Amino acid sequence: MARLHEVKGILPALVTPFKKDESIDEQALRDLVNFVIEKGVHGVVPVGTTGEFMYMKPEEREKVFKIVVDEVNGRVPVIAGCGASGTDIALDLVKRAEDIGADAALVVSPFYIAPWDKGVFEHFRRICSSTDLPIVVYNIPQCTGYFISGKVIEDLAEFENVIALKDSSGSIAYILEVIERTEGKLNVLVGHDEIVMAALMAGASGAILASANVIPEVWCQLYDAVQRGDITKARKLQLGAQKVARIITRYGGPVAVKAALGMRGIKVGKTRRPLVSGGVLSWEDREELRLELEKLGVLKPSYGRVEEFPKEEFSDIGLTPEVIGKHGMRVAKCSAGSGTEEVILSAVVGTLESPISEAFALALSLPREGYEALTAILEPNLMVRPATLIVPAVKVENMRQASMIYGPVQAAVAKAVADSLEEGTIPKEFAETGLMIVKVRIHPNALNRKMIYGNTYEAMRTIIKEIWGG
Amino acid sequence: MSKKFWPRGVIPALVTPFTKDGKIDEESFRRLIDHLIEQGVTGIVPAGTTGEFMYMKPEERKRVIEIAVEQADGRVPVIAGTGAASTKLALEFTKHAEDVGADAALVVTPYYVRPTDKEVYEHFEKIATSVGIPIVMYNIPQCTGFMMQWWLVEGLAEIDNIVGIKDSSGDMRFLCSLFEKVGGKISIICGHDEIAAAALLAGADGVILASANVLPDIWLKIYNDVKEGRIESVRKTQRRMQKLLRILVRGGALAIKEALRMMSLPSGYPRLPLILGDVFGYEHWEEMRIELEGIGKIPKSEVTFEVRGKTIKSMVPAIPETPRKISNLTFRVGEGFAGPPIFEVAHIDLILGLKDGPVGRVCEKILKQPQKGHEPKVVMERPFTVLVPTVTVRTERHARLVYEHALNGVKMGVEASINDGFLPEPLLDDLVLIANVFVHPVASNARRVMLNNFKAMRYAIRKAIEGRPTADAIFMYKESARHPFRYTP
Repeated sequence: MARLHEVKGILPALVTPFKKDESIDEQALRDLVNFVIEKGVHGVVPVGTTGEFMYMKPEEREKVFKIVVDEVNGRVPVIAGCGASGTDIALDLVKRAEDIGADAALVVSPFYIAPWDKGVFEHFRRICSSTDLPIVVYNIPQCTGYFISGKVIEDLAEFENVIALKDSSGSIAYILEVIERTEGKLNVLVGHDEIVMAALMAGASGAILASANVIPEVWCQLYDAVQRGDITKARKLQLGAQKVARIITRYGGPVAVKAALGMRGIKVGKTRRPLVSGGVLSWEDREELRLELEKLGVLKPSYGRVEEFPKEEFSDIGLTPEVIGKHGMRVAKCSAGSGTEEVILSAVVGTLESPISEAFALALSLPREGYEALTAILEPNLMVRPATLIVPAVKVENMRQASMIYGPVQAAVAKAVADSLEEGTIPKEFAETGLMIVKVRIHPNALNRKMIYGNTYEAMRTIIKEIWGG
Repeated sequence: MSKKFWPRGVIPALVTPFTKDGKIDEESFRRLIDHLIEQGVTGIVPAGTTGEFMYMKPEERKRVIEIAVEQADGRVPVIAGTGAASTKLALEFTKHAEDVGADAALVVTPYYVRPTDKEVYEHFEKIATSVGIPIVMYNIPQCTGFMMQWWLVEGLAEIDNIVGIKDSSGDMRFLCSLFEKVGGKISIICGHDEIAAAALLAGADGVILASANVLPDIWLKIYNDVKEGRIESVRKTQRRMQKLLRILVRGGALAIKEALRMMSLPSGYPRLPLILGDVFGYEHWEEMRIELEGIGKIPKSEVTFEVRGKTIKSMVPAIPETPRKISNLTFRVGEGFAGPPIFEVAHIDLILGLKDGPVGRVCEKILKQPQKGHEPKVVMERPFTVLVPTVTVRTERHARLVYEHALNGVKMGVEASINDGFLPEPLLDDLVLIANVFVHPVASNARRVMLNNFKAMRYAIRKAIEGRPTADAIFMYKESARHPFRYTP
């Protein structure tokens, strides 16, 4: 086999699919390899950080190398993740990778107890002098606690089989430093999904990315755009993928990648413990990830059901039209925005002596699943006055909807009430003597938080003006 | 001890009181200085970190030092904060302090752009050899990004005019290396409130502390206990203070000013960017208040409850914003939030009212017709308190956390509020409380769930009774409010 001299293009840091019993899911791994190759990637990296190498035994890692090398079958280079804290263990893995037929090995700097420059240099020197396999040096200080300095890279570049540096630190300054110091002796591969475009422009030859499992086509297009010198296109692609990149790199790593692949229909199972869904990747972020994939067009939005607007809006909490009329309570309804970002609010307002206090208490203390009420707060420990209750009128079915109602909607209603009280639209004495209940309807597939916040604020301000100004 | 000045004892790092529109509040400043000197402090530090030196113009800093020297009037030494990022500016401030009669100058290591040891050495050398006033060096790496090493201190201690070092790093190893290398040669002062007692026990000459604005008597007791060898007593005092100190260190000048205000020693407002609800959060404010009450710094005073013709007097730990007369308890809403950790936060929407009013009626209703997944549970009979879960309860674990642990916390919160006087004993049969309690579905740390709900319930009750936040507080903080779920991740 011809020796690999340079690495370039987009290389997904493959996740390792596990079955329910945490054993390696061979078929899923083969499917994943084919999925990314068909989408145009220029190589694959099994058993890296995203591949949960730190949770796998050497035999398991070897098994993954074998499956991947077999399934790839020479179509693209395979760079095997061989990192370990101890030099001998890492070297053993490199030799196994070499025997199996991987094209290169990715070797992370020692972690847990991180040595300094000398120890790190010796780690790589020992490995390089004991194998012919091309080596990609891997800098990921956020995991290892150690930043491989440019000076150490300068020296490592002198080894013939060190062909590249993968840098996941996210520092463009560092990437440029390495390119400048090593004078073309090695390639730099960016490993931080949030700066791919900038790094490629800066002279990185390619990227090893967690998110390239999920959206390989986007990154390949971006790589091509940079090769053609189409900066505008490259920027647009990076910004389009920015949130996906951010969620994956900062909040979820392999958990997020596996969740997102699942959404795309590529079943790769769950991560090994301690990583679990609802941990580093919160349920809210998971839904946000889905939403971003919808925006990128790789997922079709799944439209839900909007309930019909009920006539007797507040009768369910005892405020029938008769009661409202009899006690001089005031009501108003208003919508703002359009499409999935449309917000429809209706409100009832009354004094503490009126039946609204009982309705307020009832709505808060007798929650119905999916329609749970909460007070309007600017942020925790900063509720507004008059005390205002927000009640969803469309059933909240998932965390994404919940994060809209109990996020931008809650904040915007609170801000509208506070602003209206300050400017005097809501009479000052009403802050202590009155209550407000607001029913909220937003589309189950609402996408844009900023628009939801803006539309809610606008609708709420209009309602308040209707009630007190008219 | 050949040095001409030897800082020792308990020295408050004075806050600088500002008026609401940002001017130096001279009157409050002078009052604070008098108060602290009367309490027995052994020196004062104007224009230090706690004095917000970095937010003041040169003329203002100089003025603050002038006022302090004038007001102390020789009763205690004044160690003026004269640090600056540049040597020239620090020298200018130090010369000024000397001219106006300060007894020493506290000079912080240069910050923002991190210098090397050589540059820091020459910074102090230049200042110390250009003035006659004694210099106390100041190490505070969490602000400057630069940690002094013992060899740097050891070298600088050779300079005649350098008489001490204040170390705020909180690093006991560093202090111990200073005792070893320069002990007895220069004064070694601890500037980190959380370890100050330990530092004194280990041999520090004194302390310069933010919390000594608030607790001068307690620090003097600790200092004297150390001198007399009453180690057990020091430990006891320190442990009782630990939580409060943690909060005060976190909250800095803002927390100190709020604490003094709560204690009816108003010391003005901080300058921006310091703002309540940020590093020093609303829940820290509530917790600080409770801690100050616990050590008798906010004594109980009389509040009148008027309910349906009954007049009940209750002793509560009132602060300036506590209404002295509370007249309508038919229906009140309060909200309380307490964390961390993130998945164990407690968030309570509380409705508090009279049994024969709307709250009482609703209470009866919900107990008769519970909603699936949101079943209410009676917490206690007196006052009648019901818990309702915010989030639908779906798992065994979640049910246990809500109905056992959060419930216990809510109960403790009510009991504490009775004890505090916010729920007066004669009214307990008339009151009904409904707590809508949020427990995250993936919460696991049961003890934290309980404690956070205890705190959140206590805050919510206080806020409902005291009518907080007031409209004015809402106006003051609404623009800077940052709802945690308003933004995309």
